[in-house]
Amino acid sequence: MAPWWLAWLVLGAAGCVWLAQQRLQQLHDSFDTDARIAHRVLSQRMVQHEAILATLVLLQPESRATEPAPWSALTRPYPQVREVLRHDHGAPAWPAGWPPGMDAALAQSRASGHAVLAPSNLTGGQLYLVQAATPASFALRLDLRTTALADDWPLSPGSPVHAWLALDGQRYTIQGAAENAARWQWQSAKTLAATSQPLVLHMQQAVRAAMLPWGSMLGWLAGSAALLTALRQLLRQRVARRRAEQLLQLGQVARLNTLGELAAGMAHELNQPLTAVLASSQAAQRLLAEDAPDMPLLRQALAQVVAQARRASDVVTRLRRLVERPDAAMQSSAIDLPQAVIDALHLLEPQLSAHKVHLHPQFAPGLPAARADAVALQQILHNLLTNALQAMDTTPVGERQLWITLTHQGAQLLLTVRDSGPGIAPDMRPRLFTPFATGRDRGLGLGLTLSQSLAEAMGASLQLHDAGPGACFALRLPVHNTR
Amino acid sequence: MTAANADLSPLIHLVDDDDAVRNSLALLISTIGLRVQTWADPLAFSTQFDRQGIGAVVLDVRMPGIGGLALLAQLVEQGVDHPIVLLTGHGTVDMCRRAFKAGAAEFLEKPVDDELLLETLQAAVRQHVRARQQRQADRDAQQRFAELSPRERQVLALIVQGLSNKDMARVLELSPRTVEVHRANLFAKLQVPSLAHLVRRYASLAEMDAPPAA
Repeated sequence: MAPWWLAWLVLGAAGCVWLAQQRLQQLHDSFDTDARIAHRVLSQRMVQHEAILATLVLLQPESRATEPAPWSALTRPYPQVREVLRHDHGAPAWPAGWPPGMDAALAQSRASGHAVLAPSNLTGGQLYLVQAATPASFALRLDLRTTALADDWPLSPGSPVHAWLALDGQRYTIQGAAENAARWQWQSAKTLAATSQPLVLHMQQAVRAAMLPWGSMLGWLAGSAALLTALRQLLRQRVARRRAEQLLQLGQVARLNTLGELAAGMAHELNQPLTAVLASSQAAQRLLAEDAPDMPLLRQALAQVVAQARRASDVVTRLRRLVERPDAAMQSSAIDLPQAVIDALHLLEPQLSAHKVHLHPQFAPGLPAARADAVALQQILHNLLTNALQAMDTTPVGERQLWITLTHQGAQLLLTVRDSGPGIAPDMRPRLFTPFATGRDRGLGLGLTLSQSLAEAMGASLQLHDAGPGACFALRLPVHNTR
Repeated sequence: MTAANADLSPLIHLVDDDDAVRNSLALLISTIGLRVQTWADPLAFSTQFDRQGIGAVVLDVRMPGIGGLALLAQLVEQGVDHPIVLLTGHGTVDMCRRAFKAGAAEFLEKPVDDELLLETLQAAVRQHVRARQQRQADRDAQQRFAELSPRERQVLALIVQGLSNKDMARVLELSPRTVEVHRANLFAKLQVPSLAHLVRRYASLAEMDAPPAA
């Protein structure tokens, strides 16, 4: 019992771990892909900002209070560009709303020749990028939210991924919320590939129990349990069958043993008088060969022969009485014959399929119960079927057939077992039921003898049936009388 | 059933508890002129039978009290030199092996054919006679050997070793003449007609004696 539970636990756990690992791996891969795409998209935007500034600086469009602004054609495809500011050289101040560090950034840009990001509060979601030039410098106000959440942003609005941008200790959350409680999480942090805007894109996703494939795991547990149960059932069936077969064979061996002991006892009991008979008669022969036979001695020898022959005969009579003891009768009961045949076939199932025997059972419907001893009947059936199987050893595989018929004939039930083997050799026929007569090399020649005496002991009969080709045996059993 | 022949003729002891078997076998054996003494009780037989006489013993294997195999072992242990033939109703290879190992002369199965039984018994008796003769000869030789003087025994040992008179004289520090005298005495005391007889009959005795001074 315990090993099966253990096997199920191990098998179930291994399957669940594998399934969970597959799912997590898949999710992790998709997280990695999203992070890579998000980084590429944002980096491209930042480079675009530099390109816009470079174009403005080159074209130097005038700042007019007309609508639309002269650069609107340039900035319209980029909704994240919220404001463009032309800053003429020497202009004293920046308009309200622009951060105080613009002058420092402008000076820095003038020194380096590149666009420079003015320090600002990142949490507000605005970036201020300036490019110094003459006669006028240009600056852009950029909206981070619009920058990120464009069509090509990889994360869906409901995604469990938390994404944010960080610069100089400040952070701007693009989507999702930070989850500090998560014990296990995937993370990615990459600096955007634009020298003027060195923001770091952070992405984080917590690994949650809900992500595991619970459905498949439960399915696997149930499936493996069902599989193991079926396997166990199969094994148990096989063991039961083997045990039943052994019991049957054991019964036969026990009978043979009793037979053997009987034979040994009989041999000793008979040997003594036979020894005396032989010795006395040979002594008589020798006395007769003499010229003048000693008549009294001769008479004595012959009297001895007669007495000892009688003694031997008494031994045989006593023995027969012993064997035919009435209390050794079998226990007759009502037997469902078709079921008994099916049981016997079930026992031999492995051999039948190993020999590739084609079965033809023909049971007449509505058969009455038979009167028989259940164990003896099983032994007879087993013997007949085994004989039939062994008779077909040399038969080509495709032609191995076994016909079993059950019919009702008056007060009797007739069971026939016919095989497609070579049949019984004519010289074997008269000796078929004689002990120790066998057609097989390894046979003991007791199977049919035993079967016949078992059949006769329970009021049945076993005969060779002339219904060739192949050997056919007929077992006639009395119908069980219900009264 | 003792035949009234001379006491010196061979006697077969037949031991079997079955009256009919015993009587018919005794009758059969007597038809070839061998004397038979029958015993129904194996223990009475083992204590009372004449161990000096010439003959053989036939034992049934299956007897009450003591089995034939056990009785065989007991007799052999007591130094009984009669050939012992075992008779059994159902002999197995194992039983047969044990019987021969214990010293049985033959192992026969019941019912036994007359030719086989009688031949076996005659052969057994012949073997017993030969063995007794051999024993007698050995005993005589020992007696004569015991009458030799120490010097004569030395000379005998050297003869058995194959030394010539000259060599013996040197080894024993005697004159060849003296050695010649001892040698003649030796032949006379041991009653042997030739050197070959001497060596064949007395070599083993001479070698069992104290090792020669060489």
